Amino acid sequence: MSIEIRGLTKHYGATRAADGIDLALDDSVKVFALIGPSGGGKSTLLRLLGGLEKPDAGTIRIDGAEVPQDEEALRLWRRKNGFLFQSFNLFPHLTALENIILPLVQVHGWKRDEAHGRAREIVARFGMDAHLEKHPAQLSGGQQQRIALARAMAHEPALLLLDEPTSALDPEMKAEVLDLIEELCQGGQRIILSTHEMGFARGSADAVVFIGAGRVVESGAATALFDQPQSAPVKAFLSKVMKW
Amino acid sequence: MWKNVLSAFVSVVLLTTFVFVVWVVATHDYRWEAIAPYRNNLLSGWLVTLLISVASLVLSVLVGALFTAGQLSGHRFPAFLCRVYVEVIRGTPLLTQILIGYYLIANAIDWHSSLGVGIVVLSCFSGAYLSEIFRGGIESIPKSQWLSARAIGFTGAQTYRFVVIPQVVRRVLPASAGQFANLVKDSSLLFVISVHEFTMQAREANANSYATFEAYLPLILGYFLLTFPISLLSRHLERRYRYEH
Repeated sequence: MSIEIRGLTKHYGATRAADGIDLALDDSVKVFALIGPSGGGKSTLLRLLGGLEKPDAGTIRIDGAEVPQDEEALRLWRRKNGFLFQSFNLFPHLTALENIILPLVQVHGWKRDEAHGRAREIVARFGMDAHLEKHPAQLSGGQQQRIALARAMAHEPALLLLDEPTSALDPEMKAEVLDLIEELCQGGQRIILSTHEMGFARGSADAVVFIGAGRVVESGAATALFDQPQSAPVKAFLSKVMKW
Repeated sequence: MWKNVLSAFVSVVLLTTFVFVVWVVATHDYRWEAIAPYRNNLLSGWLVTLLISVASLVLSVLVGALFTAGQLSGHRFPAFLCRVYVEVIRGTPLLTQILIGYYLIANAIDWHSSLGVGIVVLSCFSGAYLSEIFRGGIESIPKSQWLSARAIGFTGAQTYRFVVIPQVVRRVLPASAGQFANLVKDSSLLFVISVHEFTMQAREANANSYATFEAYLPLILGYFLLTFPISLLSRHLERRYRYEH
């Protein structure tokens, strides 16, 4: 996907979550990872890319199309994509199956039985068939994320945006969710994710950007950035997180 | 050990008190024949109270929803007006509101149905309490749910319809049921504008027969018959909407 970000700025009170971000990615990038310290602005950038927030200034173009400004156009922008947050994505009053069907029917205008078939198909692919009729409270954190991922993928999104999808999970569940995301990467799904899983970012992302204090500190190909970081903050961050 | 002693003590006290109360009430020397001529009046009063209860229950939900919407509208002035309404209604006596509603306001617009005015005033009163219950319920829905709904591409209306309201219903049911039971009993205050409801009929029967207990005891059964089904229905709905297994 080609991404072009210019002068992107978003402030929450005194916090500069995005402070003049400039970035360009070319078409060869399929999987793009945002790394960096917590509170550095990864989530904000992801939400701006997905049209969940409006920037104070600056523009984003994805594949030549500019992320719109008005609410109605933004809603259409969000529909095209799939979004997964750290946790509590699912609606607790609906079964896993209903969680997936609801947006297909109400947002994408599918017939109910079509949506039903699609939900079953994708849930089977994600290895979750046994849990279709359960409510989120009956599922483990990892299972909830897999169902949420199934919901985000059900309408074949142009772009899948993952906001620290495994940060709230214990190691075993992290692995099952990361396996699944890796499978989606292999299948050619275009993904932008923020993550603290450095091994995953290095192994699966084509391009990586390090965001700190609302700015791009360093960006480049995954292997280059992890093997030969150029800037001091990235070196310091990587030596800390890779130490253990 | 102490826990057991305490719970045994509490059980004995409660049970003894209960038996004592029932015994005193049951063994009183009643003159039911004195009240017998008024039994049809009492029954018609009960039916009027039933009508008032059902009508104001429905209307008060609408009033409550309206003022909740006003407070959460995001427009500052309407939200402020709704806030003032809720505070004034909740902070002043229902008796006075009924009197003002009937003798001043309804009179000014030439509306003289004490039953109709009574239902409207009760609904406005109860609606103020309900709007606070509803508002609390909506505000208790976590931010992540609103965010997920937005990310899916839901409109504001769809977010309320499919995500927020189904979860709010479950959360506000117990408190709302309590408010509905209050509403049923508060309807007895409508005697001040001479609505011939249940309590009013009991008062009249007492005044005519001088059989005080015989006139007022049926109220216990009559009001309980109205409030208990509300409680049962609420429990039933709570179970139906349960999703934390």
